[in-house]
This record gives sequence, C-alpha cells and structure tokens, in this order.
Amino acid sequence: MKYIAEVDGQEFPVEILDDHHVRFGEEILEFDLSAVNGQPLYSLIVNKESFEGYIYPDEGNWKVLLFGSSYTINIEDEREKRLRKPENESALTDREFTLRAPMPGLVIATSISEGQHVDKGQLLIILESMKMQNELRSPFEGTVVRLKIKAGESVQQKQVLLSIIPSLIRKPE
Amino acid sequence: MFKKILIANRGEIAVRIVRACRELGIKTVAVYSEADRQALHVRYADEAYLLGPSPARESYLRSDKIIDIAHKSGVDAIHPGYGFLAERADFATECVDAGLVFIGPKASSIAAMGDKTVARTTVAKAGVTVVPGTEGEGPLRDEELLALAPKIGFPLLIKATSGGGGKGMRDVYNIEEMPDLLQSARREAQSSFGDDKVYLEKLVEGAHHIEFQIMADQFGNVIHLGERECSIQRRHQKLIEESPSPYLSDDESLRQRMGAVAVQAARSVDYANAGTIEFLVDKDRNFYFLEMNTRLQVEHPVTETVTGMDIVTEQIRVAFGLPLGRKQESIRCRGAAIECRINAEDPYNDFLPSTGRVTLTQPPTGPGIRIDTGIYAGFEISPYYDPLITKMIVWGETRTQAIIRMRRALEEYKIVGVRTNIPFHQAMLGTYPFITGKYDTRFVEEKFSMVDAAENRELYLDIAALMATLVAHDQQEHLSQIYRRQGKESHWKWINRTGKQNR
Repeated sequence: MKYIAEVDGQEFPVEILDDHHVRFGEEILEFDLSAVNGQPLYSLIVNKESFEGYIYPDEGNWKVLLFGSSYTINIEDEREKRLRKPENESALTDREFTLRAPMPGLVIATSISEGQHVDKGQLLIILESMKMQNELRSPFEGTVVRLKIKAGESVQQKQVLLSIIPSLIRKPE
Repeated sequence: MFKKILIANRGEIAVRIVRACRELGIKTVAVYSEADRQALHVRYADEAYLLGPSPARESYLRSDKIIDIAHKSGVDAIHPGYGFLAERADFATECVDAGLVFIGPKASSIAAMGDKTVARTTVAKAGVTVVPGTEGEGPLRDEELLALAPKIGFPLLIKATSGGGGKGMRDVYNIEEMPDLLQSARREAQSSFGDDKVYLEKLVEGAHHIEFQIMADQFGNVIHLGERECSIQRRHQKLIEESPSPYLSDDESLRQRMGAVAVQAARSVDYANAGTIEFLVDKDRNFYFLEMNTRLQVEHPVTETVTGMDIVTEQIRVAFGLPLGRKQESIRCRGAAIECRINAEDPYNDFLPSTGRVTLTQPPTGPGIRIDTGIYAGFEISPYYDPLITKMIVWGETRTQAIIRMRRALEEYKIVGVRTNIPFHQAMLGTYPFITGKYDTRFVEEKFSMVDAAENRELYLDIAALMATLVAHDQQEHLSQIYRRQGKESHWKWINRTGKQNR
C-alpha cells in the first residue's frame, strides 16, 4: 500500500511493504508498532529508535502528540490522491460555517438573532462548562442564518449551535 | 485526637485529606454526588454517603445534608478542602452550632477576609499597603463605578466582592468597553458565588503574584512558610506555581518583610489554621496586599515540598487544639519546587474544557516527583466540576534541576481519553522567560503562544507522519478484514460464530 502523508505543507511518501518494513521516501525502514494496552497510545520502534505518541483521528485528519508537540497529518492513499478532482478545493469555501458546541455545557446567553449581521470577533454565545463562562465569537464577518439554541438550554459536545454565511460569499438578496 | 472526620469535597483534594487522616489514624467519611460514585475519594474513605445529583448546588454545596451526614456518621470534625463550602462563613458557623469542629479558621475570620472590600479596609487599618481601588466605599452601582474609574486610572480590574479563582474578574483598558465588562463580570460572579457585587482595583502592570503560606494555632501563634510565585496565570487562573520565587530570589530582606506583613495581616483578623496572603509585587519591588484565602490552597504541596511540613496534618492538629509543631526560626526552605496544574483543557483549542472517559493514565514516577490526583483509567470527567484533574509537583536541589525534572516528568505523563494542558506546560517550561525566571502575570496572555513555542523546538515531522500512516494503515486493514469475512459467508453466520466464540 502506498500513501502520501502531508504535515505542515511537507509531503512524505510512505509505502508499507509488510508488517515490519516500510519504504519512507527513498529509505527502507524496519519498524515495530504496538498499541499500549489497546489504547490510542502507540509505541513505535523504527530502526531501533523508540518513540511514543498519542494518535487519534480528528475531523478527517490524524493528530499526533509527540514530545509535547501536536501534529496534524493528512493521509491519502496514492490512488485516491490521483483521482481527486481539483474543483473540490474551490467548493470547500462556498459552504456556510457551522458553530458546534466545543464542549458540553449550559447556554448562558445568545447575543445575536437569526438574520443578524455579525463582525469578526463579535460575541455570539456564552457557554458555561466546568464553572467557567466561555465566550464563543464569530471567526469572520457574516450573517447568522440559523440559530438552533436559546439561553438556558443544555447542549452536548459537537451539537450544532448556529450557522453563519461569510460576508464575501453572501447570497444576493 | 479526632476519631473520625468528614471530608466535604471531591477530587484530588478529598483524596489528599483522606491520606492525611489515614496517616494520623483517623477514620474518614466521604460524601459524593451521583457523578462521583466511582471517584477515588469514595473508594479510599472508610465510609461514603450519597449527597444527591451531580450539579454542585444539589450535592457538594448542600451544607444541610452534609451536616446531617456528619451527625449520622458520628464524626468529630469537617474538613472543607478548597472551593465549594471552604470559604463560606455561614457553613463554618453551622458546623460549630451543630457541635462539630470546622477544620479551618473561625467564621468571623472567613467573613472578614471573604468580603474583599472589607478585607482591604481591615488590613489597611493594620498598616498593610493595598492596591488602590474602590475599597471602603461599600457596594457600588454601575454608574458610580463608571464615575470612579477615571480617578483610579486605566488599566484597571473589575473584581467580584465574593470572588476567587479568577471568576467574575475582567481587565478594563478604557471607559468605552467598561459597561459591557461590568455586565459580564456581574453575571459570572452571580452564577459562581450567588453575589453580583463588584469593585474596582488598579491593574498593576508587569506585576508578580506572590503569596505567603500562613499557619496559625488557637493560642495566637502565627508563622509563615515562605512564598509561592504564582505569576503563570491564564484568565486569572493559576497554572504553574513555584517556591522559592525566582523574582524574590536572593532578596532575603524583602522576603522577610513580606512574611512579616503576611503574619500581621493574618493577626488582624485573629486568624487560626492554614491560610494564604496574596501580594502583588510591582517592577520596583513595592508590594501590595491583594487578598487572603482562608483555606487550604490548591498549590499547598509546593510549600510542603520545600519546607517538609505536612500542611493538612498540621491543619487537623491545630483544629483539634494542639499548638503549632514548628516555630518560625525552625522553618527552612530546601531546594526548589514547581507545580504544574494539569487541567482537562485543550491548549490547541483556546483551552476549552474537555470531558469524557479517561481510558489510560501513565503517571511518571522516580526521584523528586509527587502526583496528587483523583483520576484513573476508566474515570469519567464530567462537565459539572473544576477542570483540574491532576497536580504534578517536583523537587530539585536547584531551580534548574527542578525544571529539567519537570520536563522529564511531563514527557512521561500520558493521559488518554480527554485532552489535557500537558503540552502547554511542556511549551512553557521550554520558554526563555520561564527558564530564566523573568516572567510576570501578563506573560501567558500577552507574550506566550503555543504556535511560537512550537517554532523553537525540535520537530519530528517525519516520525509523526510515519506513525500516523502506520496507524491509519492498521485501522484500514482491520476494517477490510471484517468486510472480507462478512463477504465470504452470510452476515448472520458471522455474527453467530463470534457469538459462540465469546461463550
């Protein structure tokens, strides 16, 4: 199996040869990968060098926590990458932004309403969790198209709170 | 000595108190909410009683139920820990009225120091310098605060009268933003303390937050156990504490003066038991009284580590009526201690709290490491309580050795299942200002970022890419194996067979 792993704008071709050998770039490396106690904590010995990383999927990518740094890695198998159509990339930006609850909690206040124009950094919602009030702000200028919750409601993690259409691609009225 | 003590708290601090009681041969009674049935403090205690549903106001804040349980279980005393009921004068009074010893100061001392405006007036009368602000003016309305603000001068701080732990606190840089900030400070104060009164205080820039640990008995003996530097804060929440303070460093005369003032401030409210006097020290080494915490502090292990004194044991001894075990002259600080507060917060996502089941913990051990925690693999971190899950304290012969040891320990510490701020600590302990001890209370928010910190470090892009690919490949193989097996025979046969295998 051939893969392309992309991290921080750098691409690494990885070809898995068998359970203990991998072609990494030009080199062939001997490796042994083992999940600690069945957990997403992995011990990797590669050419006798030992590493330990916490690895988990996150929004279509993989996150690796290694020596106190977090890496976001996009992995595609080579075939998939060749087949990928270029227009997909432009389609990405044409979507409305959905704000999801970053944690479970209680909605203390919503300072906006549907149809309202918001500025970048404007306060949208105050969410209380673990005794702290967290202010959720708009990541860009736009229009609130849907508001799914109201003050006093409890929300689950990742629950949709509201949607915003960024100003630049605002639909003509 | 007491025969049995009830611990009116949860998490790591409840475990800490159970441990002290065990060593003193005192039986313990735990109380718990529905969310905490499997918590460590419940499992370690001799007896455990359910308080009620998970929200704190229906469980750990139910003083009536706690006193009922104290009677039922026949305890002599109640230890409140920190947070919850620890600084509620009415609770201390209720305990005493019910014939129980409250392991902490007298209700009158809590009341005098609990209202921050009264506290400032009291210590100012005793000759202690306070940060200029609206103390001694009583509760003020927004219009009055807005009128007084320019006289104090910007930047300033809005603080909750019944405040603590950074809640209900806002920095104000100009009059225009002040009305909104007053509103949000009052709202947070109301929800945290049931009291929306606020006051103003000058914001001392480039300041250090340095506090002194106080220990006092019921015979009027008051000593201090040296200082803790607590300037590494985010949103007024402490994240790292250390002793001795690198800012005071070799300035023994300043340390002695501050210690003496701390003792004097404690005496001004006739203090007994453990307490902490917080000071701000400005860039010209002037120091101001900030507030007194009339309870055991989260960061007390830092002081225990350098002085060798068991503060919780000493609290229990003096509450029983014994005199202090040590005199001021016999307090000697040895080496350096650092504490990192490990919170269930994601440092890569604006420190938002993270909840869920801890699936694995691999705590560091070895020389000079102490871990105070209430979690274990399988424990569920709920959104109901504070995000603090573990405190890691290290000791070193020198500050440099302590930093190196802490970096080693953070590298070893693995907590899986929830996000933690361990990467924040690793990044912080690698910064030049921290290593050289030249940081103040603004450092985290103004000069520190996870992205910048990462830039100065050795990168393992190739190893990270390789690891992720191997894991992704493994999972894909695993999935396709399942599909293949399902494809060969009918789906139902396959389920049937695994069913038999499991029998």
